[in-house]
Amino acid sequence: MSRETVSFRLNGAPVTVAAAADRRLVDILRDDLALTATKAACRVGRCGSCMVLVNGEAVNSCLTMAWQLDGADVVSAEGLAAFPEADLVRSALAAEVSFQCGYCAPGFTVALTALLKSNPTPDEADIKAALEGNICRCTGYLSILRGAQAAVAALAAQQTAAE
Amino acid sequence: MALTILKPRTLDEAAGLLADGAQAISGGTLMQLAWLRGEAQPERLVDLGKLTRDDINEADGVVTIGAGTRLADLETSDLIARRLPLLVQAARSIAAPGVRRLGTVGGNVAGRIGCLWPALLALDARVTVFADGRETERPLLDWLALPSATILTAIRIPVPAGEIRTAYRKIGLRAAFTPSIIGAAGLLEIEDGHVRSARLAVGAGITRPQRLARSEALLTNRDLGAIDWSALRESLIDEIETTSDAYRSARYRKQAAANALVAGLGGGVAVSRRSSPRHLAPAEPIQPDESIEVSHAKLASRWGVRPDIAAKVAGTLEYLTDHRAPGMLIGRILRAGIPHANIRAIDTSAAEALPGVVAVVTAADIRGENAFGIMAADQPALCFDKVRHMSDPVAAVAAIDAETAARALSLIRVDYEPLPLVEDWEAALADGAPLVHASGNLRAEFRHERGDIEAAFARATHIVEDVYVTPRQMHGFMETEGGYIVPEADGSLTVCVGGQHGTRDRKQLSLILGLPEEKIRVVTSPTGGAFGGKDELHVQPALALLALKAGRPVRLQLDRYESVIASVKRNPMRIRMRTACDAEGRLIAQDVDVIADSGAYASLSPAVLETALEHVAGPYRIGNIRSRGRLAFTNNGICGAFRGFGANQMVFAIESQVSRLAELVGLDPVAIRRLNLRIPGEPGFFGHEVAPTERLSEMLDAASANPLWRTERGLDAEGRLVGVGMALHHQGTGLGSLPHDPGGGRLTFRADGKIEAAYGLDEMGQGVMPAIQAAVSQALGCAREDIVPVIGDTGRTPESGSTTAARGTYVIWRTARDTAPGLSLKLREAAARLLDLRANDLAIAPGGIRDARSNSGALLLRFADLAARLDLDAMPSESTDFHFPKADYTEGNSRYVFCFGAAVVRVAVDPVSGQVQVLDLDQHIAAGPIVDPAAYLGQIEGGGGQGLGFTLTEDAIMQGGAFVTRNFDTYMMPSIADAPLASRITALESLDADDPHGPRGVGEIGIGAVTPAIAAAIADATGFWPVVTPIAPEAILDALAGANHVA
Repeated sequence: MSRETVSFRLNGAPVTVAAAADRRLVDILRDDLALTATKAACRVGRCGSCMVLVNGEAVNSCLTMAWQLDGADVVSAEGLAAFPEADLVRSALAAEVSFQCGYCAPGFTVALTALLKSNPTPDEADIKAALEGNICRCTGYLSILRGAQAAVAALAAQQTAAE
Repeated sequence: MALTILKPRTLDEAAGLLADGAQAISGGTLMQLAWLRGEAQPERLVDLGKLTRDDINEADGVVTIGAGTRLADLETSDLIARRLPLLVQAARSIAAPGVRRLGTVGGNVAGRIGCLWPALLALDARVTVFADGRETERPLLDWLALPSATILTAIRIPVPAGEIRTAYRKIGLRAAFTPSIIGAAGLLEIEDGHVRSARLAVGAGITRPQRLARSEALLTNRDLGAIDWSALRESLIDEIETTSDAYRSARYRKQAAANALVAGLGGGVAVSRRSSPRHLAPAEPIQPDESIEVSHAKLASRWGVRPDIAAKVAGTLEYLTDHRAPGMLIGRILRAGIPHANIRAIDTSAAEALPGVVAVVTAADIRGENAFGIMAADQPALCFDKVRHMSDPVAAVAAIDAETAARALSLIRVDYEPLPLVEDWEAALADGAPLVHASGNLRAEFRHERGDIEAAFARATHIVEDVYVTPRQMHGFMETEGGYIVPEADGSLTVCVGGQHGTRDRKQLSLILGLPEEKIRVVTSPTGGAFGGKDELHVQPALALLALKAGRPVRLQLDRYESVIASVKRNPMRIRMRTACDAEGRLIAQDVDVIADSGAYASLSPAVLETALEHVAGPYRIGNIRSRGRLAFTNNGICGAFRGFGANQMVFAIESQVSRLAELVGLDPVAIRRLNLRIPGEPGFFGHEVAPTERLSEMLDAASANPLWRTERGLDAEGRLVGVGMALHHQGTGLGSLPHDPGGGRLTFRADGKIEAAYGLDEMGQGVMPAIQAAVSQALGCAREDIVPVIGDTGRTPESGSTTAARGTYVIWRTARDTAPGLSLKLREAAARLLDLRANDLAIAPGGIRDARSNSGALLLRFADLAARLDLDAMPSESTDFHFPKADYTEGNSRYVFCFGAAVVRVAVDPVSGQVQVLDLDQHIAAGPIVDPAAYLGQIEGGGGQGLGFTLTEDAIMQGGAFVTRNFDTYMMPSIADAPLASRITALESLDADDPHGPRGVGEIGIGAVTPAIAAAIADATGFWPVVTPIAPEAILDALAGANHVA
């Protein structure tokens, strides 16, 4: 098995891992680094459970191969607390009991944190567009939408308070 | 095979590598999907990402988009939004945002199947390509024929000048994040009401990109007002070249694309309803009922937050498949790969010889019975004589890593003698059909007859007869089957694999492994969704055999493809139903014949079919009934338990029949149901006694009062047909009158002052833990936080029965009711001794013990302080066990305690694509008191979502004994864009005064009424009654066809 090394930043710290060129980031995280907050439910980019931030944007870690990671800045669900939006998102999703089995939850949390980072005042259509790539089987999505809207409201309240 | 990524420094170098057989890669997203579909993974890939431009600019009226531009950047580019908005629409239709941040414009176009193609063709785009050492510009369509050593470097698009009119539509399998069924785009350049030029195109997916010149000619140089849109539509259908696959026919693709182009360019959609839309509403006075809305806002004081939610959101909750430990082996299962065959020989020697392989197991390693199954042990743990479906397990390996395990699997040689395939479940029952099991293909048959059915049909005024067909729905739990098993030093086995009934899993494993039950500990929680699909054993037998043989811990998790082919599915059914009423609308006769697919083994399929048959009359009084149900073995995977458990299939049929009869009689949907409703206190379907608290009439009231009936119907702003429909249903809880159905639990005061509530129930997401906290804290008088649920672990939890059949809520509540007084007394007595008071003067309060005689609520003793002063070996504890309430009826399986519900749904039917959007999905539920509002709401909304999928998008299609669907790229569970725009859930909590059965579980009641309500809403909007789910858009287009007016 040919292995190369790839170096990137992970949750704020530099890492170097030995991995075949086509090894997926989701496997590097879950199996090589035992960072299992990133979930693997389809491994073909069709469910969003494995979402991570790469260079600040939410992408599917199962579609990201080792050779594409060189020099990237990766934040997995474990490192999300570095962003102040993540705390609001997590609190709101929890308070609204947005999830049931929760296996998709870290992916949604990553996607919503990225959304609020880029657009602090998304409307319902913006939220739905941002979450189109995250599949949830338990909830029918309505509770997730309510949680997302609560996070947006909390962010707005926080910014009003800061002004 | 190792993959090498080549990173050439120049285009010349890259072209050379491509000429030498290497394959180009840009974002790589489409390519990985292709690998999934079985296309060979190349050995050498040429990274074009850094070589091609990734900028967008405009010069001389031409926009140039570098091939390396990410799709997401196309979507957010101001320049594209201003100058080429058509392209923004196209970009947004591709996959989902996360994928668009990885994929590039070049990759989408170069792959030939991308969703940008139709839009680019309509925009008259050109490509710049690099070949033979130079860059040249060519028409876009030339790309299809260029040699593979050519590199796409940029797209060049002339900005349309003057007035234009555009159309773009991607037709998919659901509302968003879908493969393309066909994409269509059109652009007209207009001058003074005259079409100067027209470009029409289709493409994407299996449709070859093409311009539609003959159809364009019908537009070019015409006045807009003089365009014959109907002729254009006919021409488009004639001209578009495409093909059929398992999902949609070529005919549908052509019609939908033609409609989209005509409608998008201003020609409207021809809609002629076979019969006119109904726009029915309940005629009877709308009565308010006592239901309350279930929402955080309305139930704020009762709203609790489940104890596991914070960890789930943060990702810190460890699922059983997340467990990693040094030295843990990786297990893999070898599956048949052939749907029906005798096994001549299995040779594992090469796999065993492979370095890194620690254990290989086959049937020869089984010391106990090589058979399991909840209802009948007809399923081999590992096949030995024959295989009966494509993913029957034959052998398994444990190795030091995943690569070695995969390699080992490929080295196992199984010699098969193929047997004839049994594919159709009706044909399976014909004389001379090949046998799946030697005992015959008819696995179960149920018959029931009462009254004089022939005489009743003879005097009927109206009869409706149809065949309702329901799909092989997949559970689609997000966490696939898996976990880990540890062989302990004392010879025992710790099995940590997600499931729904630990003690039963233990019993089944004990029989297979030849290991006493006391030597097996089964941990089944938490698990990432189940919905019935983890009720039967799945990976446990093979994984346990591996762990025992290896003598080391082994973990295993199915990848999605393996889960798709191996997991239990909902039994597909064909339900022939003939229903009669008299002139006033009284139901007088019902004749039902069901044939259901069991797949290769029984699992719970016989019980599913029996439950379906318990619902042939719905909640109505029908004096003359004949029903027959047959369950057939086939080679189609395995079927069994899935939320709804057969009832939802039958409810679709009976509720549709009743609504259709209402139309014939001239009654509204509420009135006909009111007329036929069973009367509370009457015997149940089999003449058996049923529990009190029947709420059918109240659910009709709630449905009747629903404001959706008063919303506007007809055409919406987008030209879609809007309709409203309803359905009523009831569903039992518990396993029924025949199976052993134990319940129980235990409360224990712990050293840390918490009250441990131990139940052998599983947290699959549905909310067992918050329900335990809510029910026990309420029964004791303490706070939710004082209760620590301990669940799903045969080493720590008592028998509570299975976590299925909406039975958990009752088990939790009954245990709390029966044990709380005893525990309360013990705690108060202990506190009384310490406080020198009488137990009767004390009360349990949040956090501790208070003075019952005072209103202050102040704690006299905190639980933690009480615990600190008690003897650790004699902590107060109370336990109970009981049987789930059941009917005194043993001739068949029947339910005793029921939930009741009604769904009212508003849909919009798109006459362009035939697709249905659910706008509103309201459910009215009567299931006794709400234990935990969030869990209750979640079960109804979640059941609604799965019902929506069952109705509109989900079918695990099989052909030739193999699943066509391999993953979530084609198995279409609803996305957030498919979710209802609004959904109001109400609950009627009251119980009859003499009802001792408490709150009912709501795990199943949320799905059954959804399908017939959607069907009725479609009929309301269009006049068409769908009878096959998922409802084919093509069937809706056909129903709307026959253009005689333009909507």
